[in-house]
Amino acid sequence: MGLTFIVVLVIVLAVFFDFTNGFHDTANAMATPIATGALRPKVAVAVAAVLNLAGAFLSTTVASTISGGIIHEGPGGVDITPAMIFAGLIGAVIWNLVTWLRGLPSSSSHALFGGLIGAALVGAGLGSVDFGVVLSKVIIPAVLAPLVAGLAGFIATRLAYRITRRPVEKNHRAGFRVGQIFTSSLVALAHGTNDAQKTMGVITLALIAGGFLPTGSAPPVWVIIVCACAIAAGTYSGGWRIIQTLGGGLTDIKATQGFSAEAATAATVLASSHLGFALSTTQVASGSIIGAGLGRRGGAIQWATAGKIVIAWFITLPAAAAVGAVCEVIAGLGVEGLVIDATLGLVVILAIFLLSRRRPVEQSKALEVDVAMNSVMTRVERRAAEKKRGDEILATRRRLSDESSLFDYGPREEAT
Amino acid sequence: MIDWAAFIVVAAVSIGSAAVLVAIFALGLRLLAIAETHRGVRVVAVTCFVVAAAGALYGVYLVIPSLQLA
Repeated sequence: MGLTFIVVLVIVLAVFFDFTNGFHDTANAMATPIATGALRPKVAVAVAAVLNLAGAFLSTTVASTISGGIIHEGPGGVDITPAMIFAGLIGAVIWNLVTWLRGLPSSSSHALFGGLIGAALVGAGLGSVDFGVVLSKVIIPAVLAPLVAGLAGFIATRLAYRITRRPVEKNHRAGFRVGQIFTSSLVALAHGTNDAQKTMGVITLALIAGGFLPTGSAPPVWVIIVCACAIAAGTYSGGWRIIQTLGGGLTDIKATQGFSAEAATAATVLASSHLGFALSTTQVASGSIIGAGLGRRGGAIQWATAGKIVIAWFITLPAAAAVGAVCEVIAGLGVEGLVIDATLGLVVILAIFLLSRRRPVEQSKALEVDVAMNSVMTRVERRAAEKKRGDEILATRRRLSDESSLFDYGPREEAT
Repeated sequence: MIDWAAFIVVAAVSIGSAAVLVAIFALGLRLLAIAETHRGVRVVAVTCFVVAAAGALYGVYLVIPSLQLA
């Protein structure tokens, strides 16, 4: 009974993690096309969701280890128990939600690794974690990813502006908007093939650990379907907070920059996953956007925001590890402990959800208006429009506070 | 420890391929801008877009593992 219960809890939580992974990472692919008006917000997240769904089905080569060598798993190492996976997942989910609430793009895989490391440290001791691998797989790539992607984005943006420059006549830079749709879609597809696999791996390994599947078996079909749907639903729900940070909070993105940034992201993600030097998609995307921001003359980077993002990257792993460790301590009590963990986790998730309602960023509409104003108009036109809108509001207020009776007001409107 | 050779390869390939793809697409747009006044330029511009699209399709090929096994 106990083991079945734990495995069910792990599966439910893993699916929810997959969902948070989806909405956390929508911004990587879709923040720039939304910001430049290449795709309308709802359309963009729908495209990303479909591509994530397709990607999840297209690639089902699941990793044979959960932690990718960070924890000494398997024969000769420690046994990762389902309870440990559960504690680690709570850490990952909570950290993903906290960073989402703050609108910070942080790596979901680092959160998952962090949670597992915390749980393993408590559950199996200090020797269970290979800190050399932590350094080479998490910490150093976190420094290098934004540098490589930033340089790629910077050079690409410079080239794009230089090549399309026409000092006198009209340039055709609006055409980059069309290109952007394709580069962003490529990033979304790559995300689907990559990230859904992680959750499939976690669920499959939990099923194996619980004795429901033989060792070394592939993920069952229902696991693939559930994971694909969870990540697609998460993507579609759109992490608007993070989209806002990447699409407008870091720098004011033009179509040329958006195309260059997304091309740099796609190139870096694909190169790193095929030439054996794994980089986090989230960090690559943020890096390329900063690079693209620096590449445009007159483009300013909000370094305060960039700094917050970098800090979030570096506390992701320890913070998720801390939550994972606490959960593992509680889980040590047995089944009661797991119930306490699950309840606490649920309370925290609900609290974060309520906090997010207090200052909602459900702003696909608001984003759209901002974008329309930024992309279509020049600065002068925008100021004029703002002034005009302000004048209209003022005029309406004056009219409504007019002394004349309301009965006069209606017909007179019709007459005009 | 860390595989610096692999990192340098990744960095070079990332930066190079992003620059080439963006440059080709930008060149296409630049040529399109003068296509109305110059005959034959439109064909070159479209060729640029096709090459850029082929690059993106190669990306799709890399993303989907089952295509590579076949």
